[in-house]
Amino acid sequence: MLSLKHISKWVNVGGKPNFLLKDVNLTINQGEFISIMGPSGSGKSTLLHIIGMLDDFNEGEYSFMDQPVHGLKEKQRSALYKQHIGFVFQAYHLIDELTVYENIETPLIYQNVKSSERKAMVADILDRFQIVGKKDLFPTQLSGGQQQLVGIARALIAKPQLLLADEPTGNLNSKQGEEIMDLFKQLNKEGVTIIQVTHSEKNAGYGSRIIHLLDGRIEQEQ
Amino acid sequence: MFRNYLTTAWRSLRRSKITSIINITGLSLGMAVVMLIALWMQDELNHDKVHDNYDTLGQAYTSQVISGTKATMTAIALPIANELRTKYADDLQAVALASWRSGNFFTVGDKKITSEGMWVEEAFPSMMSMKMVNGNIHALNDPHSILLSETLATALFGKNDPIGRSMKMGTDFEVSVAGVYEDLPFSSTFHDISYLASWQGYLIMEPWIKWNTDKWDNHSFQCFVQVRKPDGQTAFSDKISHMLNPYFKDPNWQEKLIILPIKDWYLRSEFKNGERAGGRISFVWLFGTIGVFVLLLACINFMNLATARSEKRSKEVGIRKTLGSQKKELIIQFMGESVMVTLLSLLVALLLVALAMPWFNQIAAKDMSIPWKAPLFWTCILGFTLFTGLLAGSYPAFYLSAFSPIKVFKGIFKAGKYAALPRKALVVLQFTVSIMLIIGTIVVQRQIEHARNRPVGFDNERMVQLPVNTEALKTHYDAIRHELMQSGIAAEMASASSPVTSLWSIQSGYSWEGKDPNYIPEFGTIAITHDYGNTVKWGLVKGRDFSRNFNDSSSFIINESAAKIMNFKDPIGHTINWNGRNYQIVGVVKDLVMKSPYKPVDPTVYCLRYDAATNMIVRIRPDQSIPVAIAGMEKIFKKYNPAAPFEYKFVDELHGKKFASEERVGKLAGIFAVLAILISCLGIFGLATFVAEQRIREVSIRKILGASVFSIWQLLSKDFCWLVLISFGVAAPFAWYFMNNWLQDYEYRTSLPWWIFGIAFGAALLLTLATVSTQAIRAALGNAVKALKSE
Repeated sequence: MLSLKHISKWVNVGGKPNFLLKDVNLTINQGEFISIMGPSGSGKSTLLHIIGMLDDFNEGEYSFMDQPVHGLKEKQRSALYKQHIGFVFQAYHLIDELTVYENIETPLIYQNVKSSERKAMVADILDRFQIVGKKDLFPTQLSGGQQQLVGIARALIAKPQLLLADEPTGNLNSKQGEEIMDLFKQLNKEGVTIIQVTHSEKNAGYGSRIIHLLDGRIEQEQ
Repeated sequence: MFRNYLTTAWRSLRRSKITSIINITGLSLGMAVVMLIALWMQDELNHDKVHDNYDTLGQAYTSQVISGTKATMTAIALPIANELRTKYADDLQAVALASWRSGNFFTVGDKKITSEGMWVEEAFPSMMSMKMVNGNIHALNDPHSILLSETLATALFGKNDPIGRSMKMGTDFEVSVAGVYEDLPFSSTFHDISYLASWQGYLIMEPWIKWNTDKWDNHSFQCFVQVRKPDGQTAFSDKISHMLNPYFKDPNWQEKLIILPIKDWYLRSEFKNGERAGGRISFVWLFGTIGVFVLLLACINFMNLATARSEKRSKEVGIRKTLGSQKKELIIQFMGESVMVTLLSLLVALLLVALAMPWFNQIAAKDMSIPWKAPLFWTCILGFTLFTGLLAGSYPAFYLSAFSPIKVFKGIFKAGKYAALPRKALVVLQFTVSIMLIIGTIVVQRQIEHARNRPVGFDNERMVQLPVNTEALKTHYDAIRHELMQSGIAAEMASASSPVTSLWSIQSGYSWEGKDPNYIPEFGTIAITHDYGNTVKWGLVKGRDFSRNFNDSSSFIINESAAKIMNFKDPIGHTINWNGRNYQIVGVVKDLVMKSPYKPVDPTVYCLRYDAATNMIVRIRPDQSIPVAIAGMEKIFKKYNPAAPFEYKFVDELHGKKFASEERVGKLAGIFAVLAILISCLGIFGLATFVAEQRIREVSIRKILGASVFSIWQLLSKDFCWLVLISFGVAAPFAWYFMNNWLQDYEYRTSLPWWIFGIAFGAALLLTLATVSTQAIRAALGNAVKALKSE
């Protein structure tokens, strides 16, 4: 599905390059459930952002669904990721001014989906996540677990092949976390490729493959 | 997609209610002020355009140089009209002589109404394109014809057809109504004229005019012309500038004729030393400048608050980007939001203008209304609103949407040390304007107070002035005086050829021993009765007042200014020759401020004459209540002067009216200053909110390390004090320059002491600190742990 070849990213600190990622090689196939682990500052989030095309890299090649990402312009890149990738964040990142319903609907608006179709799609996913009763509430009126559920629903609404999650359970208690992870497993079974960044061994265990990062390099794969 | 933006925008407005209210209030206030000023300016600039012949009308002005003293005036000599008519017929469509405007009373049955009007030549009504409701516009060739305004016609005749009806004008002049014209609007020079009587009738009423047919030095009339060539007034004025040369051979007395185009009558009618010196137009530009500044302040303010708030919206930008929004879509969203807020403000502004209109009309002495139906008005305000909205929205739109979502989430854009610099510059600009307005307002108020407190040289309280509108008042002078004093109403009564609050006659023809033969002096000349001095309570400096115990028919009393010009060691007893007759100076009095309280007093001579009276003055006894005294006076005047209505004015009120124009400017400047300060405070508030939020991390850490509330308040307020100081540094020299220039226009003027600047600075600083403190203290008292956690 995607492959990274010799990806490096650095920032210059006092004239010397400080590597955030160094020579990362990674291939991910359709249907995988990958967990990226590593201590703070090891480059987990950076790697995830590069895969999600939210961040640039300095060196190397990245092809996503047989398209060379490094050769694309911002507009093409955004067209590519909005069609194929969904994001889930540790801090949920819901738009406070919009209701649950409208938050979930927003990605469809950006993909110019027709109003009637949008209604059907949002209704489906609300039903599936059992949050129909919450659709008119604002994010601040929900618990953390519920907000993350909305976040995931929003990430999935456009039926992406790839779901990127940056510590999706980081702000949740263990019971809420478990529920989210069960949901991820379920989604994976249905064919969604998932890449998550996590600190928790237990959560990492849900995945089919674990990648350990240390100081910007892949230290170990299991 | 649009609906999604709209809901976001609307909800984010409602979520931050206070900011939104401040934002919309500020902008709509600014817009309202600008609209009012624009309407006012438009009204001023369109003055007299109601006259169809706007591009060809002009008025003749005399510009004279007498012994080196230059003066320009609307008063012209009688033969000028004839000269223009006969020699320049190719250039002129029409010429019309006119009298000064004067009050006269009309009697229809038992109804007596006093109105102001003019005696004019036949061509005048059609030159001024009077719109006739009824009757004949060309009727004034008949000496007994009169044209009335609709209002006066209704007042006199009610619903009856006035055409052909006759009535009495004054005591015994019969006139017959030949036409009724539509009232002229406020924007016409002649809006307060309610009748036009025939010049031929004037000649019958005032026989002395006939003797002036070839007198080139008696300036007692007005003359209006209509040129043939559109916009040809100035060219014609140049052509005739030497027309009077043959009639003024004396090198010490030279005169020139000027034609002032109608477009300048109202706005540019002032002359200084014979040169054009602007006029009201300077107020138009002054307020125009203020309007631009207020608009600028409001826009700056709006931008400041919008951008300060947009930092809060950065999270939303990040999310929308990760959800697939493109830069273009975000730009449209932010711009749209900003335009929405400006449109909302426009609605509020229109409401404010509509509400403020009657009040504004009153202050500005105008009759304006919002031109709801004018397409130009809507084009202007909508264009202006869109412009403001797009300008204000441009910063968040372009700045925020350019960031990658990762950066926005990490909060990198907040790190910029100079992020607030443009906003600080804008606030400095705002405060510069505000401080200038504060200083300006104080100076204007001081100048008004200064002139108000000027000693007028007489006691103008409890004094009533009445027009001598019939001969009866002159013949019964002694009887009226006796009865008024006998009944305990009046302490004293007198009459004079000029009202106490004006000077109607300035004359030449004076000479005395030792006068430079080339010098032609001009003195205010007033004929008074014996009791004048006691009535006005003037201050005798030397000699004595006119007295019934002496024969004073050849005596003069002069004021101090005149004494200075005559330059006698002791003027008492000296002889003055006036037009071939000798007079003796018997007394010198303190200068009486009869004309403008801002100008030096004219040198004036007083002579004793009873038959030239135009005004009576009555000093009410101090123990009399005013209403009772007026009622008593009415009875006595009705008895001796039954033909005329009883009319009176209080001298102190007449004096007060001389401050109206300055008071208006002072009031408007004060209002604008308050609004500018208010808007600036909103701007400061926005910036303070932004800075407090930006530095919340720093503040929290400092608090955890043990900083006191006071030290944090100090930390956040310090920068703003600097801004005020810089603003003051910029504003003070400009304000000094402008206000010093303004004061130069007044010969009797106040000083410009340093403490005015001190007050302005102190006020600005205090207001700033008060505004900033609300935010600084909130930040200082906030929950530090919570603030750090949300980072």
